[in-house]
Amino acid sequence: MLKIIIPTIMLMPLTWLSKKNMIWINTTTYSLLISLISLSLLNQPSNNSLNFSLMFFSDPLSAPLLVLTTWLLPLMLMASQHHLSKEPLIRKKLYITMLTMLQTFLIMTFTATELISFYILFEATLVPTLIIITRWGNQTERLNAGLYFLFYTLMGSLPLLIALISIQNLTGSLNFLLIQYWNQALPDSWSNIFLWLACMMAFMVKMPLYGLHLWLPKAHVEAPIAGSMVLAAILLKLGGYGMLRITTMLNPQTSFMAYPFLMLSLWGMIMTSSICLRQTDLKSLIAYSSVSHMALVIVAVLIQTPWSYMGATALMIAHGLTSSMLFCLANSNYERTHSRTMILARGLQTLLPLMAAWWLLASLTNLALPPSINLIGELFVVMSSFSWSNITIILMGANITITALYSLYMLITTQRGKYTHHINSIKPSFTRENALMALHMTPLLLLSLNPKIILGFTY
Amino acid sequence: MNPLIFTTILMTVLLGTMIVMMSSHWLMIWIGFEMNLLAIIPILMKKYNPRTMEASTKYFLTQATASMLLMMAIIINLMHSGQWTIMKVFNPTASIIMTSALAMKLGLTPFHFWVPEVTQGISLTSGLILLTWQKLAPMSILYQISPSINLNILLTMAVLSILVGGWGGLNQTQLRKIMAYSSIAHMGWMTAVLAYNPTLTMLNMLIYIMMTLTMFMLFIHSSSTTTLSLSHTWNKTPLTTTLILITLLSMGGLPPLSGFMPKWMIIQELTKNSSIILPTLMAIMALLNLYFYMRLTYSTSLTMFPSTNNMKMKWQFETKRITLLPPLIVMSSLLLPLTPMLSILD
Repeated sequence: MLKIIIPTIMLMPLTWLSKKNMIWINTTTYSLLISLISLSLLNQPSNNSLNFSLMFFSDPLSAPLLVLTTWLLPLMLMASQHHLSKEPLIRKKLYITMLTMLQTFLIMTFTATELISFYILFEATLVPTLIIITRWGNQTERLNAGLYFLFYTLMGSLPLLIALISIQNLTGSLNFLLIQYWNQALPDSWSNIFLWLACMMAFMVKMPLYGLHLWLPKAHVEAPIAGSMVLAAILLKLGGYGMLRITTMLNPQTSFMAYPFLMLSLWGMIMTSSICLRQTDLKSLIAYSSVSHMALVIVAVLIQTPWSYMGATALMIAHGLTSSMLFCLANSNYERTHSRTMILARGLQTLLPLMAAWWLLASLTNLALPPSINLIGELFVVMSSFSWSNITIILMGANITITALYSLYMLITTQRGKYTHHINSIKPSFTRENALMALHMTPLLLLSLNPKIILGFTY
Repeated sequence: MNPLIFTTILMTVLLGTMIVMMSSHWLMIWIGFEMNLLAIIPILMKKYNPRTMEASTKYFLTQATASMLLMMAIIINLMHSGQWTIMKVFNPTASIIMTSALAMKLGLTPFHFWVPEVTQGISLTSGLILLTWQKLAPMSILYQISPSINLNILLTMAVLSILVGGWGGLNQTQLRKIMAYSSIAHMGWMTAVLAYNPTLTMLNMLIYIMMTLTMFMLFIHSSSTTTLSLSHTWNKTPLTTTLILITLLSMGGLPPLSGFMPKWMIIQELTKNSSIILPTLMAIMALLNLYFYMRLTYSTSLTMFPSTNNMKMKWQFETKRITLLPPLIVMSSLLLPLTPMLSILD
């Protein structure tokens, strides 16, 4: 695992010592190379985990997330080149350093064995993200967005620290490798109910759960493009990953404690999808669609069946790539018109036909078109929730319909129809942007050929 | 002030604290406190104006009251145990009186009212000495009598201090008052764990002193005493804005910075001793502290002017020399991986 962590840390001296015309080239190239190294982790020989040391391990759940994280760094760097081009050199280097620091913490989080180490790194990812959102965001609301982001997450995660320490007290060790063998049923008592709540709330806020999702539209909208990408693609999945890890220790309370959260998620996914239909702000639409997809993941994790875990993992990877791609597309609009309002830049298919192709592919994967992995994820979740309770099929079906509705609404508003007359002087698509979209789309399409690698540890 | 006299007075302050920390006779401890108090009054009044006079008077009155209460507790202890050696206090009344006296000296709630006003009235360097060095002596006595302190009083004072330190700092724009309320909150954290594991009190004290020292050095360097003047540091030395950001986040207790270490260790110790609601409450109240630190970082480092500093330079006199700033910064932000070395503090 050090073969991934140390090169990522060394990306920081690389940025600070590079010449002015080489910073983007150097960092993008080397981060791509690091992502190639991480691909070797996808070879998981058995259902058991690959243990690299006492502190780092990778298992069929964390390996795809790790590959996604390392794949995303070069993409973030490519996406940020335009909006940072006018900044002084030191600020560019600071930005890349923030991204690299975030990347290091994320890699260590996904491979941590000890749960307290996972917690510290989970919290540590907040600081660079906060700095990226607040310093390099574009509107005044970014200050508020940063505060909401920081305090929502911290309020949820401080009880988690205390819960982890009390579990360590009870069971003797928090090392994940040991817990899988040591696991005992949690006795039924009031304090164990609070323990369950304390463990789960941090991840619920991160996912986010419908009632606690207020930070997400703010943070996603106000963040610069790399911030939005990493937030949507990885940081939300931290919550899902944490939930998947910690629910193994929390039986049997989950069978009755999960009901309120299941109801909130089932209702919330419909509500947030419906709000997407009425959004005027493009990034806000994509942010609410993230909440909706993550609500599906929460439902899957709380049901706790093998199929639902497979669906949750597949959906996390698929949504990461899709959502990040949608944010990149929205950003390509924003860089040209400097506005996120959807109706201001319509009919782009006439002006930028190749970008329209990427818009089409992204919208199609967002609405879970077969045979993409989005569909596999959603289908597994729908099927397992149907087996859990037959009535959920109504809500799930309604959600799929509304998702299709808003994805097509987004596509048609931005691409089809007559173009607005004031945008006929926009710059054509850069090769960098097309490469960015291709690099997002290719894993999505290729994974549909062999989804086994992203189906997680219950395959 | 004449440098020779200033050195003598400063040495007396140091000597007073040293006497307190190293004595085994209760009377010597009291003498040490008095020496400390009398010598620090001229330091607090380095600039001679009514503000500092008022602040020094308030400080003198509270500390003298505390010393008198301490003397009373010592005498009651003498009556009940017949000896002057420092070990645990033998009588519950004496223990309560002594705890209150030391709380007054430290600035714990409900005796915290002097801290913001005194800190505000004096210069930055004197404020630095007040909030860091002056906490050492009372804390060392608390450490030594910790087996006999009434747990109810101690924990009530601790939790109330964290609350007051959190909420009190929310409405402030003066940096010295913000640091005063932060000191009250940190003292609360330190006393909460005193009954469970006094080593962690010492750890918290060490890290708190480092972080407060760093913050004050940064304030002295940019000669800023209000949030407004702190927000102009980007113009003087842009690097210090980043340093202020890192140190403030460390004071707020965010991982992976070293300010998280004492909070984590204290929460761990409290949870291991089966008190779960208390650390939860303390941890959530620490978020209030984080809020006003975040406000400071917003105005200082996170809303910087869009271009580099070629456009306007603020007129400033010669650069002030800041002692030991790089090691302090490193220690106040990067010490978290060294947590296993806690055992040297035992």
